Amino acid sequence: MLLLESMEEEIRQNYTEAEKLQVFHDEFMPHINSMYNFAYRLTFDEDDANDLVQDTYLKAFRFIHSFEKGTNAKAWLFRILKNSFINDYRKKSKEPAKVDYQDVETYYNSDDVDRQITPDLRVESLQDMIGDEISNALNSLDVDFRTVIILCDLEGFKYEEMAKILDIPIGTVRSRLHRARNLLKEKLTDYAKQMGYKNT
Amino acid sequence: MPDSTTSPEGKKLSCIEMLQLMLEGDATLEQQQNFKAHLDECMPCYKSYNLEVTLKMLIKSKCNGNGAPPELVEKIKTQISQNMPH
Ligand SMILES: [Zn+2]
Repeated sequence: MLLLESMEEEIRQNYTEAEKLQVFHDEFMPHINSMYNFAYRLTFDEDDANDLVQDTYLKAFRFIHSFEKGTNAKAWLFRILKNSFINDYRKKSKEPAKVDYQDVETYYNSDDVDRQITPDLRVESLQDMIGDEISNALNSLDVDFRTVIILCDLEGFKYEEMAKILDIPIGTVRSRLHRARNLLKEKLTDYAKQMGYKNT
Repeated sequence: MPDSTTSPEGKKLSCIEMLQLMLEGDATLEQQQNFKAHLDECMPCYKSYNLEVTLKMLIKSKCNGNGAPPELVEKIKTQISQNMPH
């Protein structure tokens, strides 16, 4: 099964029908708001987000025997959703299929270091952004950059969990996140400048 | 014995490496304390760290959405219960 293989060595769980329902309600359903938010920020369409979340939950139920009770249900669900998105939705969307990544080796290069160490963006400007600026800036990022910010900053996944959800090495998680944050800050710097002009 | 401002290989950590460690949440308690002390004397780290932490907090508070529509939740629950053998 493309969706679930390689997450862990799959051990088949023997759940009774009642246990299946219990796992579903107690461990899967509590994540539905996060799942919907993720789906919406991937598709930018309410109907697509609804379908994507529904597909994900039905798949999760169908393959519940490969989920071990009490383990990380949220990461497991996010992984299914992300794979469903790639397989079923991304094809039909206009998003370019691949983003051109800078690789791990450029991560510590001096340009990036300077950029991280001396940001143009000020904390005060950020705190002035009381509207949709942050959300819009996040939405403006390419899907792969958007995704790592959502997983890390919004949902609080660890790098190791993100690597499993996205099927990429941890070094790639780190470099992608680093780039995503810089792109987000660039976008917010633009907003800050525009706000500055308005205030003069 | 490496002290807390060095990596396990004994190399002294640069500002960027310390920042990264802090932002990943992987710093040991001692490394955290050292970094906090370092912030008093390193303006670039102070600015950068503050900015990253503020940004993270803002993302968390501003990008959560309104939650899943109640109809979706109901639909999923119904479909699951219909899938069960009776
Ligand atoms: Zn420093």
